Amino acid sequence: MVPRDSAARVLAVVQHPLPYFTVALEVPAAYAEAEPGHFVMIETRGGLEPYLRRAFSIHDVSSGPDGVRIELLGKVVGRGTAALAAARPGELRALLGPLGRPFAAPAAGPVALVAGGVGSAPLFLLARRLAERGTRFDIFYGGRSAADLPRREELAAFAERAGGELVATTEDGSFGRRGLVTAPLEQRLREGRYAALAACGPMPLLARLAELTAAAGVAGEAALETEMGCGFGACLGCAVPHVDGRYALCCKDGPVFRFDEVRW
Amino acid sequence: MNAAPELAVRLGPLELPNPILTASGTFGYGLEFAHLAALERLGGLVTKGLSLAPLPGNPPPRIAEARGGVLNSIGLQNIGIERFLADVLPGLARYPARVIVNLFGYELDDYARLAERVEPHAGVAAVELNVSCPNVKRGGIEFGHDPEVLERLVRGVRGVTGKPLIVKLSPNVAQPWLLGEAAKAGGADALSAINTVLAMAIDPWTRRPRLHTARGGLSGPAIKPIAVRVVYDVARRVGLPVIGIGGVETVDDVVEFLLAGATAVQVGTALFRDPRTAERLVDGLAERLTTLGLTRVSDLVGAVRPWAEP
Repeated sequence: MVPRDSAARVLAVVQHPLPYFTVALEVPAAYAEAEPGHFVMIETRGGLEPYLRRAFSIHDVSSGPDGVRIELLGKVVGRGTAALAAARPGELRALLGPLGRPFAAPAAGPVALVAGGVGSAPLFLLARRLAERGTRFDIFYGGRSAADLPRREELAAFAERAGGELVATTEDGSFGRRGLVTAPLEQRLREGRYAALAACGPMPLLARLAELTAAAGVAGEAALETEMGCGFGACLGCAVPHVDGRYALCCKDGPVFRFDEVRW
Repeated sequence: MNAAPELAVRLGPLELPNPILTASGTFGYGLEFAHLAALERLGGLVTKGLSLAPLPGNPPPRIAEARGGVLNSIGLQNIGIERFLADVLPGLARYPARVIVNLFGYELDDYARLAERVEPHAGVAAVELNVSCPNVKRGGIEFGHDPEVLERLVRGVRGVTGKPLIVKLSPNVAQPWLLGEAAKAGGADALSAINTVLAMAIDPWTRRPRLHTARGGLSGPAIKPIAVRVVYDVARRVGLPVIGIGGVETVDDVVEFLLAGATAVQVGTALFRDPRTAERLVDGLAERLTTLGLTRVSDLVGAVRPWAEP
């Protein structure tokens, strides 16, 4: 897709259990073609701080008589995310996108989706698309506690629509199984239950998934998150160590990489 | 109704349709912006620094935000001069923008070898020497901090190129005009100032430096007053045309650099948050000149009114 820079209108900000939120934006019609894994660079607030736009995965897309809207799922961790969470309906935000390399749609199921906390951001749209296509998938959703699993009911509904389920884990046991998200996944991967895996979450989780998918012989992809300056390959700030020895760019070569492309 | 003001400027032998350029390291090789900005509106574009061989760059994290600016330590990741000349330069020929190639070497001789490679290419309007990158261990910064070494380096390049020759100065020295004078003695046609300001930031929670290399270069509005001071000093003392760089984002910023003595400016970090900043400034500068009742950009160059003899 050819990314474009536009002024997007804020339609709504929905607060999930703190510190998670979604922002709905009215966007140009081209966003209807956005695929899971695409991301945007959005102005969080005018002024000098934060100075740069912030990268967000496209969390959801919908088209209707009123036009096309996208949603972004955020977690308030600093000034940029706090400013975006405080946006009011009607305000405009500079928005560049859709950017990056999306997930390659798995050719066949069943698929394992693995989300760590706010890593569910791009997997939500992937789950929607898989459900629409009737590709069976399970989603493994892990976080520190129950609050770190935003939109889990909707994700479960997508999975169930395609004959799968949502498996939730929390480190404190406040929801789902106690422990890490890799625990229930590992067994099923070994049993050969999945043809493909797609993930997003913290780097240690992704590095572990790289090992698990390699051991199980399952093709897998992950959406990575790095510090990012521009989002379109100009600043070279978002380096990802590539197995060929060079640095790939998260914004252009990614943000979705095959597990066997990255030096974890 | 008066005629539109004249935006064209002249930096020694280099003529530009307007004084708004894009800064090295913030505009890729130009084509990255082709679908986001109007390249044909620019006074010129300066490429990412190019070396003889491709460079992988520094480990991440390479970029971090500061208040009103950005810290970076990219480490001059680039595709190398040969690939640039073969694969990128022909693509840029479709746009009328003046292409200024930024060159970087590890050894003194590298600069002349790079300039030799560039010399036959008519698509390159000028050469800018990066002798002031704070993010590489060898080369760059050493050449840009010692007047005798810099003069020798520039003379070596002058010997192999007839193209307009710009030397980019570091702010990380006490008397930047001494480097400017050395560049002039070596045969430079113009100076650009400033490169990034050596800086550091630490995450208070993880205790990690925000850049993998710990130190990096600060850019953006946060460094503009430093840049204006360097341009002011260098323009008055050296007697070469100066291109002002550092936090240029608004028409006021452009005018400020011109008043300080710059003949043109480069827009850098601002392009990351608005890829159209440069073309916006071209329009804005024309409007400002009209508002001021001026007919030419050069009416503003060096026109600061000091409170006392400087």
